[in-house]
Amino acid sequence: MTPNPNPQVFLFLSQILGKKILDANGRKCGRVLDLVISVAELYPLVMGVLYRPPGGNTPQRLPWNRVREIRDILSIDVLQEGDDAEGTLKEGELLLKESLLDKQIVDTHGAKILRVNDLHLLRVNSSLRLVHVDVGLRGLMRRVGLERATEKFFQWFFDYQLTDNLIPWRVVQPLSSPDLLRLKISQDRMAQLHPADLADIIEELDINKRTEVFQALDVETAAEALEETDPKIQVHLIENLHPAKASDIIEEMSPSEAADLLGDLPKEKADGILKEMEQEIADDVKELLVHPEEEAGGLMTTSFPVFPPPTTVKEALNFLRQEAENLDIIYYLYVADDQGHLLGVASLRDLLMANPEALLADLMESRIVSVGVDEEKEEIADIFAKYAFKAIPVVDGQRHLKGVITFRNLLEVVAPQLGK
Amino acid sequence: MPEKSTGTNGAAPASRVSRRGFWRTLLVFFALIGPGIITSNVDNDAGGITTYSLAGSEYGLTLLWTLIPITLALIIIQEMCARMGVVSGKGLSDLIRERFGARVTFYLMIALFFTNLGNTISEFAGVAASLEIFGVSKYLSVPISAFFVWWLVVKGSYKSVEKAFLAACLFYVSYIISGFLAKPNWAEIQQAVLTPTVSFDPGFLTMTVGLVGTTIAPWMQFYLQSSVVDKGLKAEDYQFARMDVISGSIIVNIVAFFIILLCAVTIFQAGVKITSAKDAALALAPLAGKYCTWLFAFGLLNASLFAASILPLSTAYTICEAFGWEASVNRKFGEAPQFYGLYSLMIFLGMAVILFPDVPLISIMFYSQVINGIVLPFVLIFMLILVNDRRIMKNYTNSRIMNLFSLVTILALIFLSAAMVITSCL
Repeated sequence: MTPNPNPQVFLFLSQILGKKILDANGRKCGRVLDLVISVAELYPLVMGVLYRPPGGNTPQRLPWNRVREIRDILSIDVLQEGDDAEGTLKEGELLLKESLLDKQIVDTHGAKILRVNDLHLLRVNSSLRLVHVDVGLRGLMRRVGLERATEKFFQWFFDYQLTDNLIPWRVVQPLSSPDLLRLKISQDRMAQLHPADLADIIEELDINKRTEVFQALDVETAAEALEETDPKIQVHLIENLHPAKASDIIEEMSPSEAADLLGDLPKEKADGILKEMEQEIADDVKELLVHPEEEAGGLMTTSFPVFPPPTTVKEALNFLRQEAENLDIIYYLYVADDQGHLLGVASLRDLLMANPEALLADLMESRIVSVGVDEEKEEIADIFAKYAFKAIPVVDGQRHLKGVITFRNLLEVVAPQLGK
Repeated sequence: MPEKSTGTNGAAPASRVSRRGFWRTLLVFFALIGPGIITSNVDNDAGGITTYSLAGSEYGLTLLWTLIPITLALIIIQEMCARMGVVSGKGLSDLIRERFGARVTFYLMIALFFTNLGNTISEFAGVAASLEIFGVSKYLSVPISAFFVWWLVVKGSYKSVEKAFLAACLFYVSYIISGFLAKPNWAEIQQAVLTPTVSFDPGFLTMTVGLVGTTIAPWMQFYLQSSVVDKGLKAEDYQFARMDVISGSIIVNIVAFFIILLCAVTIFQAGVKITSAKDAALALAPLAGKYCTWLFAFGLLNASLFAASILPLSTAYTICEAFGWEASVNRKFGEAPQFYGLYSLMIFLGMAVILFPDVPLISIMFYSQVINGIVLPFVLIFMLILVNDRRIMKNYTNSRIMNLFSLVTILALIFLSAAMVITSCL
């Protein structure tokens, strides 16, 4: 067996684009315009070459298995009947240059939006796969045609070896078309981002991309990201959604966040969404909507654990186990009578240390620090600072328990004023 | 320039415009103005004021009429930028990179960096000149103003920066007041504006080219489009962006009009020879009173400072956008090193060149103008291709008539740019 005369296993897209194509008979077939890949696989396989035949205007496509060698020229087998096809794409295929090169992508690992300078391809036997996206300076200078010069300059001036800055394809989310975002694989990648990072990315995108990305997310991820997004952008994202989809997303948000968002929407839109929502959640949210956003009633959440006095520790813990996912606060358990008067509060720590058969009524602390529904945020912040609670209950004039302000709710309204 | 998250200022009020009334429309307009007016006013920078003063003091009222076609050209070009910004949601350098690839973008950005650097230098020269009129040494005024400009952006938030810039626009009124202080003969001016004078004297032609060149510069298209994008305007709000651009273009030329007029009725009629804006300000004292000089100098200071803040910012933003680097005034230095690096470098170089003794300022300006003239045609051609690309502009591509107008404008500008480059190289 003769050794492979072309040992280069890694190739950059920029090195392939524009290459002349020659078939086995030495006939010139044109130049490489673009490569077609199939995105379904983890490391997408190059399926074909898009080229413009000499004299022709419409790009033609040839299958990758006709390619024999890539050197200064692209050598291919003599094309047969049926090989030559119009350059149309099949389901799940995309063009590398058209959809990725020079476009923006999300690096879901580093949680950043970056621009693609080049694409890194790996040759395995006769096939070619997309493995990395090049976002570095070296890739940029390769495209410009000054790769060597820049390398030498960095070596001479900074004594620094210029390296490639490659990102593995499996953590890359392309943004160039809405179709790409709707792929299953895309949704998984976007969902891997921390909601706060995803929110940052959504905020940083341009106004059209923002909507596209947001609409491609599944309901749960969308709700989590939305909670972390700037209020003005929240409004913009929700306004562009159908009320049914919007209500699905808002149902997943915590009631206090949902109320803030609905309060910022135009009246008709907010009403439309409330109508689509599940009755129970909609009622909770409506109650919160009554209060101004800056007061206790607007800050509080209505999803917190509350029990009648004769509940046992065991029952309470079982309830928490089942409902923890849907509660905004689990660290404090509130005890109220059947008219809803707040009687006391017990912490999760108290429960864990107590006898499972003990009653909450015996366990609870009945000296309660609470705030009124119209308390201003400054006073609330003072109370949090003084007692170092994780949450404070909100009561009305007759001491009916109306909701709970978590430290996080408070932080959201106070943070913008913290030495920024 | 702002981060995108701050940019949706306009989106919320605009959506509520469905019940249209005059006041509502007016309200929305004021919520959405900014980009066009700021861009146009930055355009009346130190270089602009110098050119207008020279045009007025050397050719009297004869060049006033050129401001009308210049205004029209400015509106046509800027309108396309604003439209591209609103529809695509992307900046111009972003679109150029995606459409024309890395190589073209790279060289365009290098050229843009140098021409903007040249302009920044002339802004600091303007700061030095205007404060020297008030007796402040340039070794004091330039470092302080450079630091102020740098601090405003690096330590301030975009909201405060934008407010500061909008406030700065008001100070251009000082030129209009000085124009009235000179008590011009309005009938004569009306005559001069309505009867175009064309002369083939090389000096006259160079001055015309200079007027056009200083009003329509490459950086403006990048800056305007990015600010429109940052405002977060939707395609439905496009009419407001257009109103903004048109009012900006008209305001900028009203200011230019008064500067030319002021110099024409005073310096030109007295037959005094001047070579800079500082000369112009000083020459005004015996002819129109010392308040006029002070107003003129103050206007120059404001314009120079204003442009010295925007130019480096716009350059850094444009370049980072093209190469996909983090760019936002709301980030910390370490999060956006290229952005702050470029921004600080431009201010530092702009300041250092002015403080360097015996710096060949005239030839620096000259080369910066030449690069300006070379870059502009490329930017305009790219724009015309992009604005007609259906994939980017959807239903908002140029109409046939608009294409005809813009093509004529662009050809005229290319011709003038070429004329300037060729004549200045001879």
